[in-house]
Amino acid sequence: MSAPAEPVAAAPVAPRRAIWALLRSPSGAVGLAIVLLLVVVALLAPVIAPYDPYRMASGPRLAPPSWDHWMGTDQLGRDVFSRIVHGARLTLMIGTIAVGISLTAGLLLGLVAGYAGGWPERILMRLVDVVFSFTEIVIALACLAILGVGLINAMIAIGIASIPFYARITHSVVLVEKNKPYFEAAVAAGASHLRLIFLHLLPNVIPTLIVVGTLGVSTAVLAAAGLSFLGLGAQPPQPEWGFMLSSSRDLISGAPWMMIFPGLAIAITVLGFNLLGDGVREVLDPRQRAR
Amino acid sequence: MSAPLLQVRDLSVAFGPVRAVDGLSYDLHAGETLAIVGESGSGKSVSSMALLGLLPPRSARIEGGTAVFDGQDLLRLSDRDLRRVRGNRIAMIFQEPMTSLTPVLRIGQQLTEALVEHRGLSQAAARDKALEMLRLVDLSDPPRRMRQFPHELSGGMRQRVMIAMAMALEPDILIADEPTTALDVTVQAEILGLMRDMQARFGTAILLITHDMGVVAEMADRVVVMHRGRKVEEGPVRAIFGSPRADYTAALLAAVPRLGARSAEDGPRPIIDQPALPGAVVLHAEGMSKVFAGRGGIFGQSGGTVAMHDVGFSVRAGETLALVGESGSGKSTSGRAVLRLLEVDEGRIELEGDDMRALSTRSLRKARRSMQMVFQDPFAALNPRISIGRLIAEPMLIHGIARGSELEDRVAALLRRVGLEPVHMKRFAHEFSGGQRQRICIARALSVGPKLIVADEPTSALDVSVQAQVLELMLELQQSMGLAYLFISHDMAVVEEMAHRVAVMRQGRIVEMGPRRAVLGAPRHPYTAALLAAVPKPDPTAQRPKLPRLDLKDLPMGPLAQTAPDHWVAQ
Amino acid sequence: MLRFIVQRLFAAAITIWIATIAVTLLIHLVPGDPVRIMYAGFQTTEAEIEAIRARLGLDQPVWRQYFMYLGRVLQGDLGHSIVGNQPVLDTLLQRFPATLALTVSALVIAVVVGGSLGFFAAYKRGTAWDFGAMTLAIVGVSMPHFWLGLLLLFLFSMTLGWLPVGGSGWRNLILPALTLGLATGAVIARLTRSAMIDIFDQDFVRTAHAKGLPKTLVLYRHALRSGLVPVVSMLGLQFAYLMGGAIVIENVFAWNGVGRLAIQAVFARDYPLIQGFILFFATVVALVSVVIDVTYALLDPRIRYGT
Repeated sequence: MSAPAEPVAAAPVAPRRAIWALLRSPSGAVGLAIVLLLVVVALLAPVIAPYDPYRMASGPRLAPPSWDHWMGTDQLGRDVFSRIVHGARLTLMIGTIAVGISLTAGLLLGLVAGYAGGWPERILMRLVDVVFSFTEIVIALACLAILGVGLINAMIAIGIASIPFYARITHSVVLVEKNKPYFEAAVAAGASHLRLIFLHLLPNVIPTLIVVGTLGVSTAVLAAAGLSFLGLGAQPPQPEWGFMLSSSRDLISGAPWMMIFPGLAIAITVLGFNLLGDGVREVLDPRQRAR
Repeated sequence: MSAPLLQVRDLSVAFGPVRAVDGLSYDLHAGETLAIVGESGSGKSVSSMALLGLLPPRSARIEGGTAVFDGQDLLRLSDRDLRRVRGNRIAMIFQEPMTSLTPVLRIGQQLTEALVEHRGLSQAAARDKALEMLRLVDLSDPPRRMRQFPHELSGGMRQRVMIAMAMALEPDILIADEPTTALDVTVQAEILGLMRDMQARFGTAILLITHDMGVVAEMADRVVVMHRGRKVEEGPVRAIFGSPRADYTAALLAAVPRLGARSAEDGPRPIIDQPALPGAVVLHAEGMSKVFAGRGGIFGQSGGTVAMHDVGFSVRAGETLALVGESGSGKSTSGRAVLRLLEVDEGRIELEGDDMRALSTRSLRKARRSMQMVFQDPFAALNPRISIGRLIAEPMLIHGIARGSELEDRVAALLRRVGLEPVHMKRFAHEFSGGQRQRICIARALSVGPKLIVADEPTSALDVSVQAQVLELMLELQQSMGLAYLFISHDMAVVEEMAHRVAVMRQGRIVEMGPRRAVLGAPRHPYTAALLAAVPKPDPTAQRPKLPRLDLKDLPMGPLAQTAPDHWVAQ
Repeated sequence: MLRFIVQRLFAAAITIWIATIAVTLLIHLVPGDPVRIMYAGFQTTEAEIEAIRARLGLDQPVWRQYFMYLGRVLQGDLGHSIVGNQPVLDTLLQRFPATLALTVSALVIAVVVGGSLGFFAAYKRGTAWDFGAMTLAIVGVSMPHFWLGLLLLFLFSMTLGWLPVGGSGWRNLILPALTLGLATGAVIARLTRSAMIDIFDQDFVRTAHAKGLPKTLVLYRHALRSGLVPVVSMLGLQFAYLMGGAIVIENVFAWNGVGRLAIQAVFARDYPLIQGFILFFATVVALVSVVIDVTYALLDPRIRYGT
């Protein structure tokens, strides 16, 4: 994961203006277009896909790309294009649910630790730092060793594995915000714990988490594809992109299309979320725009 | 008069569509000090950076004009040729000594590299020259300084290094951009003195960029006043101060607080006809001590910092007690401690007779209704994602004072009370100017009807003309509502305008406390006297008395003893 | 400085200690009977299962199991693998040189390629060069490592025939190291650019320009030396990610390192081997971070001469 844990500062932006600004930043516009395209493809998969992704012998085996099979067929004669279109559903589901798990848990952890301060904060964040240093892939492997392999388990594993990342970012933003005078002003006004956390801290943490969460979808997609590639995630006959890549491995020289198109699909998806995340950051943080 | 050293004509600089400098012209003559003064956004800094090609290349654009120095137009020189001028013939020092030196390089290398570059000196010769310069700027043990890194020096010492670095090549012109703004007043006085010494020794012309009229009066021969990118007036310093021609200059000078202006009065200027007089004691604090633990982690604390030691004072209704001191004196810590925004290690704090330290979290929240705070940076003190109407309403909601339409009416009334319009309610903090933001903060503080307001440097982030308005508002509110103020400030002139009584703090202790007129008029502690002597007077005819050389180690820092009625001095 | 090193070592020790707790708990979080799951593919009697349970100490209370495990770990005994019944530590150490060769060469590639690309982009900020470099970087960040590996394999081994497909010689190291190095380099390029831009905006760089120093001198002496501190400080984390990425890449190129072993262990539910791997990984990452922290402390006089 490469997203720098810099808090997103600055003033609120009206929603309409924000979308407009997003469309005007090159990365935001391209990213938004890719992500929207993905969503449309995923929703309309049965309509778009010319063949049943699971049906064998939709065409000849290992046929190169042609008018009938835009991206060729695999070793079982399944249409690669149809499988990729249906794979978009799996990919988006994995990405959003995994981020949902890690974001929610990480947000709560970071918020509570940062607000509480003192020794609870020190112990909690020390623990988070340690687990963080194990890296997501090892934590995910450990989770899979416990849960057993499978796509749903891989998704949960990735969700759990990224909790420390979000906890750290939330914590760092909370530390910055907590030391601003506006927070002290709310304390001086006599605000309760809940009011301080949810009315004053949370709204100032959210912008950063929107950015990081968007970038996080791409990390989750990459991780899920990686686990499936290793055989730990999706199982046959699921049309998961990483898994499709792993079954292409022994056929690279004869049927490179089986390797090229699923990889391209992953790369474009990840690129889309990365660009969108960068774009949102530019919109929410004027400091970045000046660069 | 001989030909000018530097001749600037019709200089215009734009940031995007905004003209930051618009047709600026002036001459700078050899050996003189020309001050360019203005408030924030006047273009004073931008215009001088433009001369040396130091503007950020992507955002700023020089739109026109000439700057002739030594027969060549600086604005049209190639990078290479301009580089030969920079640091060599025209040197520059900046506002932030803490960040203006490269942290990973030794002082020695930073001092010698320009000498090697421009003069082609050998390392040894450059080193000798650097040592000589460090001696000239009055730094102790120059050989040791050469080996040190910037983080090992204090702010004042770093600014001395910057001056040594700038003067080592004996430039024709020294551009000083707010050189003392980040420094404490006593250090400022030393640095200004040093700059004058250097000028006398090397005959350098100084282009001094500042917002501080006191510094202008003390340093400048001639003055250029800028406002919104344009020059509004230019003239000899005495003429500018004595008979300003432009309205803007006159207004600016009128807004500058002058230390000594109220030396014949006991209290602040009455704003309303029948101001409330000081009444019963609202806040009483005694024996407050606080040590901040050093960063030590598991291996134990590595010596804490004493932030407060045995600090005590009281404030009456309708009265202002000013806490004054330099950075690190513990004045802000004391202010936050009485509000229990920070827990003291020892001491007693009473608000209207109630022991604040004995309160539970719940009762403390209730008690906060009686005490409010106004912060130094009004922008940071307003939550950027909540509308100001809701921000002002929040304390009233918390304390159940009003709700619904009554709440809205009260917010509207408060906004009007501090000179804003109720239509502003829906807007956010970033849509207001600095002065308006501070008014909003004051309205929020007033909303719960507090007895005590702790104001921590409430105007030091504001321009001087805005400062005057905010101070007047605070005086008016106090006089009509009988508020008690604990007014924290580093600015002696502002304190004189605001305070009934003054407590001077140094290194976490109160060294002198008493009626404002006595403490500022006839200080009994040598540190108070030094602070007062260091304040630059916004009057070019006044001769600054020779600064008392203060022996910091021998200052009496013991317990307070009463030397006159209500006047206490550390022994 | 010594104090700093001791502090870092202490933090590393805590990390490793927490890892021992985590791996002990791991086996208890397995739904069902871990012994039966591990030996699912073996012919075992009830008596044998109980014997194995006793041998692994799984019939003891958790806290006692933990101290037994800790005691053995401190003596360098990570238990025996289920598959093949080999000492876990020996197996890991036997495979580790391959992983080390891969990660270190990848780190060198990543730092050289990513660092210079990021520095170059920061220096040319706002120009077409910057845009081009950063487009390259974000594409690199977005590509799955294993796909990049497959593409390189397809190009250099299959189409051009320059490099072998699998094996364990140094020629076989080129492609996996290049894959991992380029992928990590893209991340480092982005981080370096943003760190250098922060530095270029600092007051002290302006001071150096105001002194009339040549641009290159300002760049290398003032900006780059200061920029190294934040750049090196993030390498510890990048190395951890590199180790994580190696797990996947080893499987793409059939490179016989610890990562390949780990995946086989997860498939086989070989818990002693999985536990050993996680502990080993945590230890390596913790020790490398200590080395990197000390390196950046040496670059930063505020720490070097601080308390």
